[in-house]
Amino acid sequence: MTILCVRFQLPPMYEAALPELLGLLEEFTPVVEALPPDGALADLRGAERYFGRDAVELASVIRVRALALYGVDCVIGAGPGPMLARMALRDARPGLTRAVPAGEERDFLAGKPVVALPGVGTATARTLCEYGLDTLGRVAAAPLSTLQRLVGAKAGRELHEKAQGVDRGRVVPNGVSRSLAADRPFDRDELDPDRHRRALLSAAGELGARLRAVGKVCRTLTLTVRYADRSATTRSRTLSEPTAHSAALTRTAYDLYEALGLQRARVRSVALRAESLTAAEHASHQLTFDPVDEKVRRIEEVADRARAKFGPRAVMPGSLAA
Amino acid sequence: MPGFTHLHTVSGFSARYGASHPERLAERAFERGMDALALTDRDTLAGTVRFAKACARSGVRPLFGAELAVGAPESAAADRTETSVRRDRRRAPVRGGAFVDESAPRVTFLARDGARGWADLCRLVSAAHTAEGTPLLSWPDNHADGLTVLLGPDSDVGRALAAGRPDRAARLLTPWREVYGDALRLEAVWHGRKGTGPGSLRLASRTVGFAAEQGIRPVLSNAVRYADPGQGEVADVLDAARRLVPIDATRELDSGEAWLKDAGAMRDAAERIVESAGFRRDTAHRLLEQTRATAAECLVDPEDDLGMGAVHFPEPHLVGAGRRTAQRALASRAAAGMVRRGYDRRRDHREYWERMHHELDIIAHHGFASYFLTVAQVVDDVRHMGIRVAARGSGAGSLVNHLLGIAHADPVEHGLLMERFLSKERVVLPDIDIDVESARRLEVYRAIIGRFGTERVATVAMPETYRVRHAIRDVGAALSMDPAEIDRVAKSFPHIRARDARAALDELPELRELAGERERYGKLWELVEGLDALPRGVAMHPCGVLLSDASLLSRTPVMPTSGEGFPMAQFDKDDVEDLGLLKLDVLGVRMQSAMAHAVAEVARATGERVDLDGVPEGDPATYRMIRSAETLGCFQIESPGQRDLVGRLQPSTFHDLVVDISLFRPGPVAADMVRPFIEARHGRAPVRYPHEDLAEPLAGTYGVVVFHEQIIDIVDIMTGCGRGEADRVRRGLSDPESQGRIRVWFAQHATANGYDAETIQRTWEIVEAFGSYGFCKAHAVAFAVPTYQSAWLKAHHPAAFYAGLLTHDPGMYPKRLLLADARRRGVPILPLDVNKSGVAHRIELVSESRSRTRGAKTWGLRLALSDVHGISEAEAERIAAGQPYASLLDFWERARPSRPLAGRLAQVGALDAFGANRRDLQLHLTELHRGARGGRGDQLPLAGGRKTASAGLPDLTSAEKLSAELGVLSMDASRNLMDDHRAFLRELGVVSAKRLREARHGETVLVAGAKAATQTPPIRSGRRVIFSTLDDGSGLVDLAFFDDSHDACAHTVFHSWLLLVRGVVQRRGPRSLSVVGSAAWNLADLLEVRREEGLEGVAARLAGTAGGTRGADGGDDPEGGPARRRLAGSDGRPAPAGSAAQDPMEQRTIRMSTGYEMHPWADLRPAGEGPAVGRKLWHQSPGSAG
Repeated sequence: MTILCVRFQLPPMYEAALPELLGLLEEFTPVVEALPPDGALADLRGAERYFGRDAVELASVIRVRALALYGVDCVIGAGPGPMLARMALRDARPGLTRAVPAGEERDFLAGKPVVALPGVGTATARTLCEYGLDTLGRVAAAPLSTLQRLVGAKAGRELHEKAQGVDRGRVVPNGVSRSLAADRPFDRDELDPDRHRRALLSAAGELGARLRAVGKVCRTLTLTVRYADRSATTRSRTLSEPTAHSAALTRTAYDLYEALGLQRARVRSVALRAESLTAAEHASHQLTFDPVDEKVRRIEEVADRARAKFGPRAVMPGSLAA
Repeated sequence: MPGFTHLHTVSGFSARYGASHPERLAERAFERGMDALALTDRDTLAGTVRFAKACARSGVRPLFGAELAVGAPESAAADRTETSVRRDRRRAPVRGGAFVDESAPRVTFLARDGARGWADLCRLVSAAHTAEGTPLLSWPDNHADGLTVLLGPDSDVGRALAAGRPDRAARLLTPWREVYGDALRLEAVWHGRKGTGPGSLRLASRTVGFAAEQGIRPVLSNAVRYADPGQGEVADVLDAARRLVPIDATRELDSGEAWLKDAGAMRDAAERIVESAGFRRDTAHRLLEQTRATAAECLVDPEDDLGMGAVHFPEPHLVGAGRRTAQRALASRAAAGMVRRGYDRRRDHREYWERMHHELDIIAHHGFASYFLTVAQVVDDVRHMGIRVAARGSGAGSLVNHLLGIAHADPVEHGLLMERFLSKERVVLPDIDIDVESARRLEVYRAIIGRFGTERVATVAMPETYRVRHAIRDVGAALSMDPAEIDRVAKSFPHIRARDARAALDELPELRELAGERERYGKLWELVEGLDALPRGVAMHPCGVLLSDASLLSRTPVMPTSGEGFPMAQFDKDDVEDLGLLKLDVLGVRMQSAMAHAVAEVARATGERVDLDGVPEGDPATYRMIRSAETLGCFQIESPGQRDLVGRLQPSTFHDLVVDISLFRPGPVAADMVRPFIEARHGRAPVRYPHEDLAEPLAGTYGVVVFHEQIIDIVDIMTGCGRGEADRVRRGLSDPESQGRIRVWFAQHATANGYDAETIQRTWEIVEAFGSYGFCKAHAVAFAVPTYQSAWLKAHHPAAFYAGLLTHDPGMYPKRLLLADARRRGVPILPLDVNKSGVAHRIELVSESRSRTRGAKTWGLRLALSDVHGISEAEAERIAAGQPYASLLDFWERARPSRPLAGRLAQVGALDAFGANRRDLQLHLTELHRGARGGRGDQLPLAGGRKTASAGLPDLTSAEKLSAELGVLSMDASRNLMDDHRAFLRELGVVSAKRLREARHGETVLVAGAKAATQTPPIRSGRRVIFSTLDDGSGLVDLAFFDDSHDACAHTVFHSWLLLVRGVVQRRGPRSLSVVGSAAWNLADLLEVRREEGLEGVAARLAGTAGGTRGADGGDDPEGGPARRRLAGSDGRPAPAGSAAQDPMEQRTIRMSTGYEMHPWADLRPAGEGPAVGRKLWHQSPGSAG
């Protein structure tokens, strides 16, 4: 019972505040893993002995400090491993830390629906439910070979172990968000491709700016189009080189959009997500003899500085200014 | 000031384009001082007849035309290919579908030269509909001598002008000029738009200038889409609905100017146009003059040229007359019929011969012999195909029809009158309707088309018009509303007219909740009402077939039907009659198919040949069954009201059935003929006749007037006017105006015949009260035949009977109810099994030894593969053909089911024979599927090849099995779904349907069950009563909710599938029982509460809401869909309301022409989704059977 899973109750789109809050956790332990946009895992194995308090008590301290320092409330779950801590978090509420004591993992899990298990997505959950394995207790009772036939050898084995309460995960300090998203909702059913593209342009610009602000590049770009009937289409593409360059992101976003060939679809929002983020200094960039590319990047740099000084709307593409 | 003639006007028949009905347009034209108006609908002439009639009423001269999309001439086609290729290359959208292609140029055609113009117009419209996809007139078909052509802004020429290319316009004009020469006009339209597009002043002036330059006469039009100003928003909604996109406020919307403007406004427009074209202002009158002259040329007379009022029968040589006249052929066939049926050897043969000659005289008088021969020919053809066929309707009253083999029942024996069908006094076309097996109806159509040829036969169109639910869906989509929300709002409404939307919100208790939030939807309601009754599409009429001579296609535009490609006239059934086209109603009756299937099953399983038409009359077992009122599934007598009536009437002969069917109509129920009849029948009241002369016609019905035929006889006896005249009198009775005249006439003649004033007065009261309500006895006899036949089958071959019913689903009840009924009647239900089930339901020998009544064998009902959700016909046939299967692998390889289908089969236990539990089977199937897809050979985890090995998965629980049955088969096949709730129902003290039979009158009880059918029929008191039937496994409980309980109950009753109801028992006879509901709860909700919060929770729920629990989710289940509607057969007509407590509340009522009062919201398909099918009856837990 040494891992805490903390979710800060941040207002939406305030992920910029997360690093500071992580700093707060790092005062207790160096082993902190960020779960963007608003959460973190902390391994308190050393801290318990150092502070002479157990994890639940430390959780209260953390909450008090977060409220006092930043005015941000948080919800905390505690467990022997990261997976159990995360699942405990779902039962917790502000002021009540839910802890799963070691040895009670199986009982804790038995009544939970399979979909509650981290790593079990909707597809896997659907498969399992189809075969009557709708709770983790039932999954734990099913033979390993059957699970492997259902979801594959590796996933089956992991599922089997997890359902038994065996949590092999570790908290990996990273301090970085692994993806960034920008959403552009429409206030009516929007069919006009021009307006779709304008929304994409603005979203890609935002993503680029945010990536550059944290010194990251992304390798994959994902486009999600949501429709009036609440369904969605998702397409992703790996970029030819990791980048945070807005123009390159926009180009890819347009390509993804064109590939959908939408005509009468009633689009309610478009969302872009930059994934597989890595540090910008490790990224390679293919130089060209074309001076235009170089110039565009330089302009972007300048524009970033202008935005930093005069606000995000200080510099923007002409088509968005209207 | 002279009027202006609009040459380009569309009505609502231009589906999803025009916003006004043709009648409204004609009316407005008259009001605005126009003396002629053209109707030029898009791709259709369907509005023509209504328009012509409306114009005749308003005194406006109608012009006929159509607006058609026209293909490019070959020469011009060359430079189009490039663009069309590019369009084809466009990527297929991953979602939402492609845009509706409206790129083809549109041109207006007006019929000019009388019948020739009309024939040309019909030909062009028909030709346009031969194109694939949307209607498009190809250039080779684009020629006609009798038409005037208007090239407007949407034509290719107009578009070139809009693009600023007069050179191209001139080039495009050449082919038009070659074909139409002098009949070509250029149409200028000004809608006050900006730019150079359609409706702009610049395009209008360019058009006029171009016309002057090219020497072509210009005309002015307003391209009218709606009658009145302010309807532009409705036009926007229609545009959106047609293009299947939401209204985009940032794009160009309708200008709001395309209304039927008066002459002054059009003159102003003309002046603006000529001025901006650079002419002097007074040249405007020349533009108007050209328009007037063009209108004056178009002379098509509705009577002479459209053929309204004339009759066209197929040529005699096609109907077996050879070189003889049709009348001679008919006479000889009738005489042959006399001999064949042996009437000529009867003692009363003179009566038959006289009747036959009398009828032949009447037929000769009207010249209808070809008609009779045509129908006889069709019936013969159908019978040769081995399809069950029966005549219905008044045609059964004609002996000639009987002799020709069209009608089964002998009209002389049953006392049916020819005059009710056809007499010398009657001038309208008689109609003979024939019933065929519904499953083979299309075969019959094909046979008719094959016999007479496509140039003489066409099916009849049935415009689908906007009612409230569709209107809400289309307007909601146009306004970008959330689809789930649209669905919820639409389903809250009963199936009422769109124009009543707001009134319904104000008045209906089940809409109260929605009414509370009506403001949220803004303009929705107004627009919904604006769409009222506009056609939104066209479908094939389910029974009408047009038969004509070879000139059909020059009088009727024909289009292919979407599914089968039958030729279909664009006119609906009323238009067709006005146009003098002979319509034969060929009704598909599911019960006929069901009986055919039952007979076939008996023959297959036992070898016994059952001749239903030869079943002996008066079978005691059959009447015993009918008297027990357990008539579920029997033709015409299965509805709750009918079961009640049958229980009170206790029929014991065929004639009783005829009376029963006649009594169960709105009229007799309203006139309270039921009670005196039943009193007299059971000897509780004396039989009274107004006069002893009338004893003969009235004796069969204990002095109560039930049939039209009796009215005819009464009038004939009292006045001596002859039956033909008496029938005319009878028809006049329904019209209050003529009623007064008839009364005087009746009194005079009866007095002259020596009847005293009191008798006349009493007789007149009866005639007046019952005359218009009575039922045609010929109809009733025709109905009673299948009623008796189906009841006979139910009594003697129950398993086969249910097999037929379940296969063809004829009734008003969901299938699961029929299954419950079968279970109650002791028919074993055998589960689905891929080794034993057929495509259709079958019967199987279950046990032979147990000798019950006649040492009979027990036959069980084997469920059918075709009932499995999502199975295709080919799959079912493949599975059935491959039987038996040795193992799962064998089944998988030879039957080749799709993966989801195999999964469903496993869920409902159809694969249980292969070992392992149902979930293990699922897993094996998945692996077989993966194996097959990956092409990795067959390394299969099957033990021993035969039995499937267990994989250790938990089996379906019993509740999950039931849930799977409901989901897959829409039936609770293994047991009744209410059985699982017994414990809770016992806790509540719910009375079962079986025990309810012993309940006292006036006792307050709780009943519960699955809702089977809900109706709000018109009833005598003019109030709205909700009738519902619950099935609780032990039987049926019939419920009635009167208006005082609607506030509390209506929403729950309409929107829940499982109901708990508190009510008072009403008894009206030993077998007649119903419960008057006072409170209703959604039982599914209560079960949920019981499971989660225990009895305390239930108590809290009951305490909190006195019967007003909210309905469960209004149905977010996209697949289940509404249960299939019955087309014909025992549709639930009204239930007699009986005497319930009077409600002092003043109610708005609708007075029908018959003087019969009706609640404004009665007789509608109620809100919600109809009877529950499938899973909705089951709570859904996250881990149910998948």
